[in-house]
Amino acid sequence: MVSKIKKKTLSFQDTIFNLQKYWSKKGCVILQPYDQEVGAGTFHPATTLRSLGPKPWKTAYVQPSRRPTDGRYGDNPNRLQHYYQFQVLIKPSPKEIKKMYLNSLSSIGINHEEHDVRFVEDDWESPTLGAAGLGWEVWCDGMEVTQFTYFQQMAGVECKPVSVEITYGLERLCMFIQNKKSVFELIWNDEGITYKDVFYQSEKEFSAYNFEYANTDNLFKIFEMLEEESKLLVEKKISLPAYDQCLKCSHVFNILDARGVISVAQRSEYIARIRELTKSIGKVWIESQS
Amino acid sequence: MSELFVELFSEEIPARLQINARNGLKKNIKNFFVDNQIKFNENFNVYSTPNRLVLHVDKIPNEIQLSSEEIKGPNVNAPEKALEGFIRSNNTILEKIFKKNTEKGEFYFFNKESRKIKVSDLLEKNLSEIFKKIAWNKSMKWANYDLYWGRPLKSILAIFNKKPLNFDFNHINSSNKTFIDKSLEEGMKIFNDFHSYLKFFKQKGILIDQDLRKKIIQNKINEIINKKNLKIEQNERLIDEIVNIVEKPAVIVCDFDKKFLNIPSEILITTMQSHQKYLPIFDKKNNLTNNFFVVSDIKDTKGFVKLGNERVIEARLSDAEFFWEKNKTQNLVKQVDKLKNVNYFKGLGSYFDKIQRMRKLSSLISDDFLISKDKIEIASSICKVDLMSDLVGEFPELQGIVGGHFARFQGFDKEVCLAVSEQYLPNGMESKLPKKMYSVALSISDKLDSLVGFFGINLKPTSSKDPYAIRRMAISLVRLIVENEIKIKLKDLIVYTCSVYRDQGYEFDIKKIQNELSDFIIERLKNYLKEKKIRQDIIESSTFLLGLDDMLKSYKKSLCLNKNIKKEIGFETIAAYKRSLNILNTEEKMSTESLGFADPGLFKNDYEKKLYKKINEIRKYFLSVGKDENYEETLKILSSIKKEVNDFFDNVIVNDEDIIIKKNRLELLNMLCKTFDNYFNFSKIEA
Repeated sequence: MVSKIKKKTLSFQDTIFNLQKYWSKKGCVILQPYDQEVGAGTFHPATTLRSLGPKPWKTAYVQPSRRPTDGRYGDNPNRLQHYYQFQVLIKPSPKEIKKMYLNSLSSIGINHEEHDVRFVEDDWESPTLGAAGLGWEVWCDGMEVTQFTYFQQMAGVECKPVSVEITYGLERLCMFIQNKKSVFELIWNDEGITYKDVFYQSEKEFSAYNFEYANTDNLFKIFEMLEEESKLLVEKKISLPAYDQCLKCSHVFNILDARGVISVAQRSEYIARIRELTKSIGKVWIESQS
Repeated sequence: MSELFVELFSEEIPARLQINARNGLKKNIKNFFVDNQIKFNENFNVYSTPNRLVLHVDKIPNEIQLSSEEIKGPNVNAPEKALEGFIRSNNTILEKIFKKNTEKGEFYFFNKESRKIKVSDLLEKNLSEIFKKIAWNKSMKWANYDLYWGRPLKSILAIFNKKPLNFDFNHINSSNKTFIDKSLEEGMKIFNDFHSYLKFFKQKGILIDQDLRKKIIQNKINEIINKKNLKIEQNERLIDEIVNIVEKPAVIVCDFDKKFLNIPSEILITTMQSHQKYLPIFDKKNNLTNNFFVVSDIKDTKGFVKLGNERVIEARLSDAEFFWEKNKTQNLVKQVDKLKNVNYFKGLGSYFDKIQRMRKLSSLISDDFLISKDKIEIASSICKVDLMSDLVGEFPELQGIVGGHFARFQGFDKEVCLAVSEQYLPNGMESKLPKKMYSVALSISDKLDSLVGFFGINLKPTSSKDPYAIRRMAISLVRLIVENEIKIKLKDLIVYTCSVYRDQGYEFDIKKIQNELSDFIIERLKNYLKEKKIRQDIIESSTFLLGLDDMLKSYKKSLCLNKNIKKEIGFETIAAYKRSLNILNTEEKMSTESLGFADPGLFKNDYEKKLYKKINEIRKYFLSVGKDENYEETLKILSSIKKEVNDFFDNVIVNDEDIIIKKNRLELLNMLCKTFDNYFNFSKIEA
């Protein structure tokens, strides 16, 4: 009798462990998530600031990412206002980065010889960070699982050397690996805990906060206060605390945007204000690097 | 005779950049051979896969003979240093230098003997420059290097006459090797000629030639749809993109849950085409089915690719369904006010401002079109509301179409819904053209409002830049009018649009806009006629006297003449006109002193009388013919003057001794030309 060997499903947390181990072996500094609300792993100072200036740098970390407007009260199987990215940043971009990336997929059970892995043009731009890059979104059998970007500009400054950024959307990736139709069905660990057990209530409540209850009058004031603080810190030439204030500004703006109280004209104005902060902070950071 | 074979291996280059690079490389290499007077096979090709840009040129000589030439040096009176420099730079000795007189004085000369140059040397010296000259639409840097390329360039294989060429391109040294495995960039292999290279990859299922890939994809698709009695939409752009994002295409049929067919099909199609690069499949009646093609870059031996893609489309369509269900019930009329918060264009107000203008404009147009004012005003009011919906947020390319579906769902009049759907059509030369009068009226108002607005704030396109696609807008306007055969007073409408802007507080220079915009639109009409393969001289003639309000006439008359110019009615018409005009042109004074008519009392013979009579018949025809003028009939009548004109010129000498008789005859010919001008001014037609 041949017994059917069932392959163990890689859990959400094991996926993270495997990626961390893999990139650790490649010489990356494994960091923990940044303790600020950010919209994407790119906002972590280990990416934004460290991609500036001449010093080599390799890092990998998980970053919880908040996108208030994407909240769906836990009703939509694909959209969340809080999700995880696994972020890798290497400066200068290594020659064998594609091989490294494809092997990282093998480490989580995706063999590129069995799947249609495609590098599809996707140039990236972040108006709030004054950043732009060229690269791809990586598709695995039609599903976007990674953003792969060569930074050309950050905080308004041309990148020299150029960093490569690899951002895995962990939920998407795991839905692919675990063959699930809903993010909430993802297996979190081997004890049968699901993504729903961990985050469903949070999605419901934060959607309510972001869309209904956030006190917009206060948030507008808070934005001003944070912006002022950040500018002051720039004058004092301490870039990292200044950047923290800037990140907070960005998150406050995102909530205001979700609440629908920012008009189109205002929107670009706020984005420009955050960009100006980032640029001035970037300058201070670069000066501190020499 | 030898072949040049080059492969530039890189990370995945996007489809449109590959096309861009192929064309650039082809042009540069051709220029190189031509400039250096090296013979080569002009039917050479440049191929590409996402990772490989491949050049193959054969029938190239190994050496070229440069003929001897006399090289001019410094003036004999120049300082000695100049002569020394001349000797050095030509790699020669003083004994071989000679003096020679020229128009500008006496100079030193050197006779460079004929010599042979190896083509491989020339290539090694020039290839990196040829690569550098590729003009990428978008390029990038990576790592520490200063090189710009579409995506990181990893290796260069360069072979001439089966031997490697050695040169550096920035940090990369050329060699005779390339990576076999494009994914992991592993397995270096030596290739010494193009055919073994092609053959090697073909064995691995990899097709270097994009045209071959295209053929294989299309054949496979046709085989499947023919068997099942289905069809696909002929979408060249999508096919070309797909062809350039795979190297070993495998066509897979997938399907999605039939329940999604309840969502408007445009949403499904857009999701498949632009988001996922799938090819939707239709039945023979053009209804969308729940099947679609995926072109994979790998053989789906385990079924993973099909499964994965089906899950992706399921997730995407669930999302679209969610938004469709939510948005379709949101009352369009109640949302109109919210458009005040949506900026149309900096300096041209909000979308609310725009629809107010469009309402007035379309309302005025409705009088000419004999359509209901109420209905077109409703269509104008709600037409931009969909811009605020989640669906248009997700599918910006479906603006208008989505609005039309909302309107249909909410029970608006059929013609109103269609007008909302088609408000952005046509979009340029190739796009579909609305035919229903409500749609045409709404589309004309939209375009005219934009054109006047952009000219008003001085954002006219320049010869090289047109960031707001204003030319396309104007071409679309031309098409709406001529292809739908609409008689419309465009000049008045432009003035009216200006005044509507003025009512909203915009200070536009109406005269300036009217002039500039009229010229601009006429230029587009000319381009349009050119696209329709109408002869340039006919285009020039047709737009010489006829203006903006007569675009339809210009169009139809040029079309008619273009069709008939080689036939008797066209040919004879022009001959008669030209013959008369030539005489008039030799008598320059005529034009200024013309009375405008001939005096029959001064005629001396029957030929004059008959011609006069015939001209008057034609004039009567023009007076009697109204709106339903048949231009072919007109040409026929004009050409029927042939006999009278020939008899006149054969028997009458215009240049009579009696100046009064002469002048009267010139008047007669002038009458003929002026009468013919009722068609249009034929003077620019080349016989």
